[in-house]
Amino acid sequence: MKVLEIKNLHKIYNTTQIRVHAVNGIDLDFEEGEFAAIVGPSGSGKTTLLNLIGGLDKPTEGEILVNGVNLSTLKSSEIIDFRLRNIGFVFQSYNLIPVLTAGENVEFIMGLQKWDRKKRDERTRELLKAVGLEERIHSRPSKLSGGQQQRVAVARALASKPQFVLADEPTANLDSKSTETLLEIMESLNREERITFIFSTHDARVVKKARRVITLEDGKILSDETRN
Amino acid sequence: MIWKTAWKNVWRNKVRSLVVIISVTIGIFGGVFAVAVMNGAIQQRVDAALNEEISHIHINNPSFRDNYDIRLFLPDADSIEALCRQIPGIEAVTQRVILTGMANSARKSTGVQIVGIDPDREKQVFGLHRRTMEGTGDFFETESRYNLAFIGHALAKDLNIVRYLIDQSTIDRLKDRGLPEETAEKLIPFIGFRFSGEKDFNNEMKQCLSLNEQTSYGRLIKEEAWTFRERSRMTLTFLDANQMQTGAVFRIAGIYDVKNNAFESGQVFVRNEDLRRLTGLTGHQVHQMVIRIADLDRTDEISGLLSQKLPGLEVMNWKEIQPDLAMMTGLVQQFYLVFMIIILAALAFGIVNTMLMVVLERTRELGMLAAIGMNKKRVFSMIMLESVFLSLVGGVVGMIFSRILILMTARNGINFSNYEEGFEAMGYSSHIYPVISTGFFIMVTILIILTGILSAVYPALKALKLDPAEALRTE
Repeated sequence: MKVLEIKNLHKIYNTTQIRVHAVNGIDLDFEEGEFAAIVGPSGSGKTTLLNLIGGLDKPTEGEILVNGVNLSTLKSSEIIDFRLRNIGFVFQSYNLIPVLTAGENVEFIMGLQKWDRKKRDERTRELLKAVGLEERIHSRPSKLSGGQQQRVAVARALASKPQFVLADEPTANLDSKSTETLLEIMESLNREERITFIFSTHDARVVKKARRVITLEDGKILSDETRN
Repeated sequence: MIWKTAWKNVWRNKVRSLVVIISVTIGIFGGVFAVAVMNGAIQQRVDAALNEEISHIHINNPSFRDNYDIRLFLPDADSIEALCRQIPGIEAVTQRVILTGMANSARKSTGVQIVGIDPDREKQVFGLHRRTMEGTGDFFETESRYNLAFIGHALAKDLNIVRYLIDQSTIDRLKDRGLPEETAEKLIPFIGFRFSGEKDFNNEMKQCLSLNEQTSYGRLIKEEAWTFRERSRMTLTFLDANQMQTGAVFRIAGIYDVKNNAFESGQVFVRNEDLRRLTGLTGHQVHQMVIRIADLDRTDEISGLLSQKLPGLEVMNWKEIQPDLAMMTGLVQQFYLVFMIIILAALAFGIVNTMLMVVLERTRELGMLAAIGMNKKRVFSMIMLESVFLSLVGGVVGMIFSRILILMTARNGINFSNYEEGFEAMGYSSHIYPVISTGFFIMVTILIILTGILSAVYPALKALKLDPAEALRTE
């Protein structure tokens, strides 16, 4: 089942002096449960593509359909709500809320969706257990290592059971051991929860784990390789 | 979740938040306490006016107040009184004979209003008898075959009925009450001196005492040096029922002190029987009916009812008799509101600045929150709540501190005795008991919340304008 369809997607940035075609006619489909990496050199359009898929930016041309819903047809307030219910985000620099504990960070999105207290607590414990941080539920981000913070960010991204998770360079700030642990956790969650993961990355270790690798160059797809 | 996050965000930068909170605390503390002092002074003034000077409702012959002519009586005063007593809510009624005349002592004379009263009934309407100065007598309680007058402290000073005398016993008493030896020695040259006026005494004290000594002990020295010659006398002259000049010597029954120089100088109370005998008025001839009501909130209702039932007579309630009192009680509430708004408006600039810093520092985080699905309404609410929490914490602490200080000072009052003359000239007591209503605290709390909300509007709008993708790229 297709969770994401991208049709003839273009993004052009017009500054006063130059015109940048960051995404140039991309067509892509993602099935449920995919574990895909988007790779390419800096400036190839990876982050722009992820921002467009996540509804953080608007395409100049083309369509993005999430479970058949065309993001371009949604108002900006509707897109925010759509993101809340359908898309999980993992950022390069974790971006946890520093004043909340690990548990509260995970719970935050469920709170925005007005889940009841009991369900929130159960899901938070379940996810923190899945990322191996159940005992750090009351720790603030400042008391966690970078790897642990990113694991909390993954748990947060999965909290509301989204259609897919977009991860922008999730391992860029992690050492090799933390990267290994994080990838194993994400892979197992991907298999257990059947949630699609789409990464943008430079990291060869992420590429190695991915079951589909899409290579971009100058905003165009250079290759789209699926592995078993 | 938003509330919890906003509350925790307040304490993210403790020093910065504490600076704002402390400034709000100081502003609210100062503002509320200042209002409590002003309110205390005004309330004391209004209470004194209603309990000791005018009471609640007056009934006069309609022309009487124009010229205070002795012949302008209330027609059939007893029937009027009987009618008044039938109206529910009227607590007590007293009848007065009122004349204008001159009060004369051996040294001075001054114009006064001579009020003939029945002391027992007067006590039911007024509390003036409770303001008799210690050692000066009483409120017509001691039987006497002489004419008696109950006069104000200011009039007693004007007529030189009170004096200031320093002798060895005065100095000994002052030492017992804590006057330092060094200051006491400065008073020794004045032993045996008798000052007939307060002004002369003050001038001498100013010359021999330092400013600090005057400030610290001036009132104490004046209290101990103050003397009243028992059985002092004065002459009251006035027109009788036949418009003939008459007068008599009156002994001072007692001296009252209501901390209102104008009232004390102008009102001399005498017994109705003495005045009737001297003027030739009969027992049914009175000029004024004074009414005390049980509930001040029913003033307009009862005075309106009396006006209907007594056509052709002048019925005036306290708001009409002294419009300045009515203005004070009404206008002053608006003044307090404006006063607190000015303080909070000044504090709001600090809060706006802090909240702008908050938005600027958290650009990336706000971008992340928008990305993960926090809508604009929630972002706006979170920033609003942070601002409200900041101002409310400071405000509540300020109100608690001010409440504590009000309670501490309300018991014994605050003594502004150095400015006593000025206060009393305006009719205010220099000893103020701060007081504030619970309603005022509720109003201030609402104002604080509004300040927090208004202070956050601009920073919150800035946060809403952030582009999430761009904000996430911020370092």
